[in-house]
Amino acid sequence: MSQPLGRAKGPGPRPHTFLFVSADADQTLKIGEFVVYPVRVDGREQQVLARINEREAIRLYPDGFSADPTVDPNRIAAMVGYSGRTSELFQMTAEVIGYYDEALGDFVNPRIPPRVGTPIWLADNAYLSHVLSRRRVDEQGAGSMGWLLSRPRGEVPVAIDLAAVVSTHLAIIASTGAGKSYTASVLIEEMLRPTTRAAILIIDPHGEYSTLNEIPNARELYGDGYRPEARIYAPGDVRIRVGTLEQGDLRYLLPNVSERMSYVLGRAYRTAEAASRRRCGEADRWTRAELEDAIEKEGENEADSFDRGSANALLWRLRSTVRTGAGHIFDDQEQTPLEELLRPGRVSVMQLSQVDSREQQVIVAALLRRIFTARLRTKNGQVDEGDEFYLPYPVFILIEEAHNFAPSGEDIVTTGILKKILAEGRKFGVGVGLISQRPGKLDSDVLSQCNTQFLMRIVNPVDQSKVREGVEAVGRELLDELPALTKGQAIISGAAVNTPMLCQIRPRYTTHGGAGADAPEEWVRYMGGSNVARRQRESAPLQQPGRRARLFKSE
Amino acid sequence: MGLSLGKVVKADSHIHYLCQIYGRHEVKADSVPQPHHYALGNFVQIGLGGENGLIIGLIYDTMLLNPDFGNLGPRLSPEHELKIFAPDYLNERAVLVRIAAVGHVAPSGEIFQGVPRLAASSDAEVREMSPAQIREFHRGSDGGLHLAYLPVLLRQTDPLIYDMVQMMLGQLAGLLSEAQRAELDVISDELLWRTQIGPLGGTQ
Repeated sequence: MSQPLGRAKGPGPRPHTFLFVSADADQTLKIGEFVVYPVRVDGREQQVLARINEREAIRLYPDGFSADPTVDPNRIAAMVGYSGRTSELFQMTAEVIGYYDEALGDFVNPRIPPRVGTPIWLADNAYLSHVLSRRRVDEQGAGSMGWLLSRPRGEVPVAIDLAAVVSTHLAIIASTGAGKSYTASVLIEEMLRPTTRAAILIIDPHGEYSTLNEIPNARELYGDGYRPEARIYAPGDVRIRVGTLEQGDLRYLLPNVSERMSYVLGRAYRTAEAASRRRCGEADRWTRAELEDAIEKEGENEADSFDRGSANALLWRLRSTVRTGAGHIFDDQEQTPLEELLRPGRVSVMQLSQVDSREQQVIVAALLRRIFTARLRTKNGQVDEGDEFYLPYPVFILIEEAHNFAPSGEDIVTTGILKKILAEGRKFGVGVGLISQRPGKLDSDVLSQCNTQFLMRIVNPVDQSKVREGVEAVGRELLDELPALTKGQAIISGAAVNTPMLCQIRPRYTTHGGAGADAPEEWVRYMGGSNVARRQRESAPLQQPGRRARLFKSE
Repeated sequence: MGLSLGKVVKADSHIHYLCQIYGRHEVKADSVPQPHHYALGNFVQIGLGGENGLIIGLIYDTMLLNPDFGNLGPRLSPEHELKIFAPDYLNERAVLVRIAAVGHVAPSGEIFQGVPRLAASSDAEVREMSPAQIREFHRGSDGGLHLAYLPVLLRQTDPLIYDMVQMMLGQLAGLLSEAQRAELDVISDELLWRTQIGPLGGTQ
């Protein structure tokens, strides 16, 4: 082992923290860096791991020594007779994580700070690789997300436990441009390794994940004849049967539904369900036409012209909003089989980029309900192979712009099912990953139930405070780093790792598709010489036979 | 035995002694102490006589005694003839050094660092210490470097104390192993910062 970098000074300002003093001549003791100190437990020497949370200078030259930028303050100090070697001295506040108990597979906090004068060492790479990550790289269920930020590239790999991610859910929180879709894509790549082969569905409201179609070509993910698959579903490629929509979905989807309309809808909905049950024994096979008929009948049955008006208004809303058939997501009969959307070794990206936000929410609610029901019924042995609710493996659903599906202070169609999955999904093998750039707008309960967190740069104070409230696993000091993180750097915490850590996310195997448009580049390209000439040529009416023809055709 | 430097002529307190350095009329010509023998920060030993052992001290100040100072009146003899006509008068000129007691060595060799219980008497002999004696005085019971008297010294209000301590540490460093020197450097660096950078506004 190399030389110690500091010595313990005493207990820290908060429980489980201690202070140590170091000259840190090589500037190795960064915030978030890991250090160790020896302690004897049951007669055996253990290395207690601690993380540096604060760094405070306790010995500095007078400010005036730096008054002239061309003069080295060390020279001034030498001039006035200081020949010592320690012109800078730092006091570090470190948080005790504990010694690693191999049998337990976790850290045990010694619950006592180190004695004054205990030597403090920089934790070595091999030790950190062993104790920080729950899984070894290339082990089954390991997600090699990158490396420890405070160490040189690749020296301490960070491998998360993907089983924990799926069973206890995930949140990726970051400001725009901090790299959340990049990080999510790296996670997807890891989940599709031959050692994991996950079944993943991505809800992609902005079409940022289309480049995941390169996944089948990523040779890094091949193994034992296995090759991951990717399916990109444009809006309209995925079919949701209208019969699976609940009354609440319809009420939410239709614009400006009055109480009277809601009453008529409720009655008509029950009639349509009854018709469906009579026809095929299932309540969720009604068609839009059947619902329309039921609404019309409700209107006719009412003597009051006001009710007839409500029924008509409801019909008009239904026809203009819930479109079924070719090119539309909703369909009377068809629905995309779950085993097609979700299959081990495959990522399905459901693009919703041209879909109205309320429709998006209803689609996601219907899909989540279906997936959850399928897993519940399959797990409980209520369905067999061939049944539309048969889904014989755990699944992971990644939801982009999650604040639109579980908004804070509002109960929308997706909130209930999301909370249900977050609370009960573990039992049935439904994992959810929520991605949001506005945690402040995300429901607190939902955020707090995501037990693994990838936190990237967050500058907005409201969002920061929401993260503080919702993410208990990360200490206040580490969260203070959030605005200082740069692109691709993340705090990974929670169930998938042994302790929160700062991680540099590894480069993707697939191309990144989430980058914002480069407006100046596009403007310059638009005004480029050949483009201007081409546009002038095309817009000159007499030079184009087609245009010329139209001119004379107007008579 | 180290060179005899002088004798105790006064004590201002239990640990502050005044020693008059021997002049050329008091000892043999080859034994007259030279300035480097009684330099600031030098270790000295003061004999207690009999079975009482030695007091170990540090020279922390120097004074010159010159009865001619301030006497502006006429003299019977010119300056260069004083040696012939008034040799006693010349003998009244002396170098005095202040010594701070920092420890005690019993006749058995047992070493104590800090304020000694015993005090020296007038005329007690003051001798320089050899490097081996200095090393021995600083060896703790665990074999490590021992400077328990340092806080006693630093409590003194004398303006020269910090400089004297730096000189003493410098002298000591030359006698120690590399590992012990590293330990000494920590103290030396801290004191240096306090004396050189602290007064200019450096963080302490």
